[in-house]
Amino acid sequence: MALEKELETFKAKLPELNGQEGKFALVHGDQLVDVFGTYEDAIKEGYKLFQLDPFLVKQIQATEQVQFITRLLVAPQ
Amino acid sequence: MPHFTLQFGAEGPVVTAMIGPSGPRLLALVAAKRPVPTMVQIRALIDTGATCTCVDPSVLKQIGSTPTGKALVHTPTTAGVPQQVDQHDISLAIPGATPSTPPLAVPTLAVTEHVLAVQGIQALIGRDVLSACLLTYNGSMNLVTLCY
Repeated sequence: MALEKELETFKAKLPELNGQEGKFALVHGDQLVDVFGTYEDAIKEGYKLFQLDPFLVKQIQATEQVQFITRLLVAPQ
Repeated sequence: MPHFTLQFGAEGPVVTAMIGPSGPRLLALVAAKRPVPTMVQIRALIDTGATCTCVDPSVLKQIGSTPTGKALVHTPTTAGVPQQVDQHDISLAIPGATPSTPPLAVPTLAVTEHVLAVQGIQALIGRDVLSACLLTYNGSMNLVTLCY
C-alpha cells in the first residue's frame, strides 16, 4: 500500500503533536515537515515542496475519527 | 444562495458532477510539464450515510491521482473493524441549475477511494461536502434541493 512509511512516521510523531489537535500534519518519508491550520494549506505546501513525489497529509487527532460509509457493497482493498 | 432542484428516481438523488485534480496538484503537474488531465464527468449519489465523499478508483485513475492521505473507514463489509483506505486530493464541481448559476465547487477536497461503479455511480457526495449546504429531501415528490 502507498504511504506506509509516511503513516508510520505520523504515528511515531503523534505524541509530539500534543496540543495541535485538529490541524494537519505534512509528512514526507520519515520527516514530519510541518503542521498547518487547514487541509488545503498542507496539500499546497506538499506539492510545492515535493511536487509529484509521495507525501502524506493527515489530521492530528488524539483518537482518530473513523469515517462511516453505509452504502459500500465491496470491501475496501 | 445558488441552488438546484433535482427530480430523482428509484436510484435516489444522483447528480452529474465533474472531478479533476485539486488546484495544487494541477499546478504541480504544469510545473513538472506533465499532461494535465481534463475534468471527468461522473454520476454521484448525494448520500447522508457517508461521513466523507468517496470516488471510484476508475475515476481517480483517469485523472492520474495518487494518494496523499489515509483514512480509517467503517462499512457494512468491514465487520465492525475499521480499515485503512487511501485518500486523494481532488477538485469537485456540481453544475448550477442554469449556465449563469455558479457551480457548487470545492477546489481541494479529500476523498476516499472505494469501488462504486458496480452500483452505476462513481461517487458518493458525503456529509463533508453537505456540511456547507442546505439539503431538502422531498420524498413525496421525489425532489431534492441543494443550496450552497
